[in-house]
Amino acid sequence: MSLSTALNIINSAFVTNAAQSAVIANNISNASTTGYNREIANAVTNYSGGASVVSVTREANTALIEQVNASTSQAGYQQALSDGLTTLANTVSDSSSATSSSGVLAAGNSPSAMLANLQSALETYDASPSSTSAGQGVVTAAQGLASSLNTGAAAVYSVQERADSDMNSAVSTVNSLLTQFTSVNATIVSGTATGADISSAEDTRDSILTQLSQEIGISTVSNPDGSTSIYTDSGATLFQGGQASTLTFAPTATYAAGVSGNQVMVDGVAITGSSSPMAIQSGALAGYENLRDVVAPQYGAQLDQIADGLVSAFSESDQTGGTAATLPGLFTFAGATGVPPTSDATGLASEIEVNAAVDPSQGGDVNLLRDGGINGSDYVYNATGDASYTGRIEDMISVTTSTQSFSGAAGLGTSSSLSDYADASVSWLQSQNQQASNQLDYQNSVVSQATTALSNAAGVNLDTEMTNMLTIENSYTTTAKLLTTVNDMFTTLLDAV
Amino acid sequence: MATSTVSTLSLGAAMLSGVTRAQNQLTQLTTEASSGQYADLGLQLGDQSGYELSLRNQTNLLQSLTTANSLTVTNLKTAQAALDSIRTTAESAVSTLTSLTAGSSGAASTLQDTGTNALQELISDTNTSSNGQYVFGGENSSVAPMADYFSSTASAAKTAIDAAFQSTFGFAPTSASAANISASQMQSFISGTFANLFSDASWTSNWSSASSANVTTQIAPGESATTSTNANQPGFQQLAEGYAMLAEFGGSSLSTETQQTVVTAASSLINQGVSSLTTTEATLGSAQTQVTDATTSMSNQLTILQTQIGNLDDVDANSVAVQLNSLQTQLETAYQLTAQLQKMSLAQYLPT
Repeated sequence: MSLSTALNIINSAFVTNAAQSAVIANNISNASTTGYNREIANAVTNYSGGASVVSVTREANTALIEQVNASTSQAGYQQALSDGLTTLANTVSDSSSATSSSGVLAAGNSPSAMLANLQSALETYDASPSSTSAGQGVVTAAQGLASSLNTGAAAVYSVQERADSDMNSAVSTVNSLLTQFTSVNATIVSGTATGADISSAEDTRDSILTQLSQEIGISTVSNPDGSTSIYTDSGATLFQGGQASTLTFAPTATYAAGVSGNQVMVDGVAITGSSSPMAIQSGALAGYENLRDVVAPQYGAQLDQIADGLVSAFSESDQTGGTAATLPGLFTFAGATGVPPTSDATGLASEIEVNAAVDPSQGGDVNLLRDGGINGSDYVYNATGDASYTGRIEDMISVTTSTQSFSGAAGLGTSSSLSDYADASVSWLQSQNQQASNQLDYQNSVVSQATTALSNAAGVNLDTEMTNMLTIENSYTTTAKLLTTVNDMFTTLLDAV
Repeated sequence: MATSTVSTLSLGAAMLSGVTRAQNQLTQLTTEASSGQYADLGLQLGDQSGYELSLRNQTNLLQSLTTANSLTVTNLKTAQAALDSIRTTAESAVSTLTSLTAGSSGAASTLQDTGTNALQELISDTNTSSNGQYVFGGENSSVAPMADYFSSTASAAKTAIDAAFQSTFGFAPTSASAANISASQMQSFISGTFANLFSDASWTSNWSSASSANVTTQIAPGESATTSTNANQPGFQQLAEGYAMLAEFGGSSLSTETQQTVVTAASSLINQGVSSLTTTEATLGSAQTQVTDATTSMSNQLTILQTQIGNLDDVDANSVAVQLNSLQTQLETAYQLTAQLQKMSLAQYLPT
């Protein structure tokens, strides 16, 4: 061994120190970057006996990343559902402004509360049937009920429209992320082959996958060449062999009765919807689809059943003993030719209105409520026209609490009273809302825990970096001392010659 | 090896998310503390929302029924006051008749005046209205139940009586020939032709516009009651018959014996009328009791309902206060810890 060998080793020590310092500096500067994975400079003994940095690897924990992605997908699903349900629940939020302890009731706007208002108005009318103002009160309450159903139906359609447009944005987000993924993945594959530093590309790829799982549930497979394949959680291929699939979706701008939206397709196969052979289970996309095609329509169907129940309950029957058809009374809808059966109630909630024949502001006569005859003289109940006749009013009071049949498709049973049905509908909605909200809270905390675990496992601890820095500093000081010493030895040697 | 490291990022974020959550809860608890109710009832109650709503709706309904019942009670009281007044008039008419000696001087004019006044008061009392509705009209409450017997154009009832007298005796009641009517002739006229003028059919065509159907009103959920009476009740007919008899024939120049026949017949009719009215009054009284009872029972139900709503909606003020306090402590600790943790860095301890 010669002194010049010692100098070579000292030189390589400086290079190694510089490389390690660079990695530490990189780690420290990214200490607050979410998704940054700590880098490690791997030093080995080289041929001359010195040390050199041969590679930089990154701390990674695949299991934890998968857990973060899976929980992000679940949270995305619940978030989409919960947002929509909150919008729907706002249309029935009766109690929020009430102070029950003082007995003051909220001016609720759910069909159920409006139905109760109508019952109250009818009771008042019943006590003074000759009073036009009491009759007007019934008409006003009925208009409130009709408008509550109209509002509810409009909210259902608007939730569907928003979910549809959110699906469209989610699809373009997924497509753009897949494009980014394609180029990052290519960088990693070529970097792996050439041995270049691909840590930051891998960070980017992980971050893209997390963003992707927000929109759509995914599973990933790592390949030997460093590339990653992406499949939906239902097994449809999103990225494989360097090729990204493209999601296609035809948005539907306007929702109305009987309109159903399109499904998201990958390579000609639907990946959303109940009829899809491989429907995705999580991610915002699945949440929007469930909201648009299952939850909102079901609530809409319940509103339609309530509307149908109202038209049928307040209808007028032939009083002459003849067989003329039963026709809509207080509640009717545009183009009504009779009372529709419960199975044919689609869209009724958005069309229901108070019959113009009893509305003074539209030239109607309030007394027709008391006497009957909205549909002509065959339907008059109060034949003598007595001012205090209450028979018809009491009929109308009793129909709201007597058992009626409903279509089972709306999911609230087939037989109950109108007011119970309206209450049950509110319960159904609020319970869906509560479930989604609880699930969202839960999934968010799972995401938070998984992210923390991942950050702890793969992230930067400043104190660790600082300690390493001190070690490198000491090593640098010693190396410098060594250099001085070798230099002194050379000087002594040369002086002696 | 399970010794895990903690990344600087998650160390900072852990406290941050804790603080955010605590602040959210603080807002919610403040709302709850000020309103006394859950901040978001729908979210809190979930599938019990419908039940809570039905309790509220029931409360709403009971309250409007209570208001409606007070109106019904007012109508019933008005009707009873009118019946009282009718009965008083009738009793005073009977006492006048009892103290009267048939054939004495001035008896004829006393009889006529008594009959006329009593009949006028009967008509006026029967046409009593409450809230713009005639209380004795039955369902037909918008029309005055009894026509004015003494109107300037002769009423149907008066015309019928005059015509009946004329056709039976061949002269008008005011004629001097009335003195020739024997007691038995008068008796058969009163109990025959004249009584027929007060049969149900004649009564509704000549005297009364009231509907025989009484008003029924819902006084509690699912409970209806008959809450009116009508001027077609026998009491009204008997009184009108007695009074009309006196008003029309009492003043005629009848023989003492015939006059006594009229007085006896009228007294008997008025007494029957009073007794019939008592029955009517009792019916109204029991309707009023029924309404009052229903109102009382609804008031009890309202108390129960409000307790139930309170159980669902109201937060426990004490627990909210305690939670608020502990949240405050927690937040303060979090702030302190954040400051402490920021100091806990190796960089602070290295010589510069």
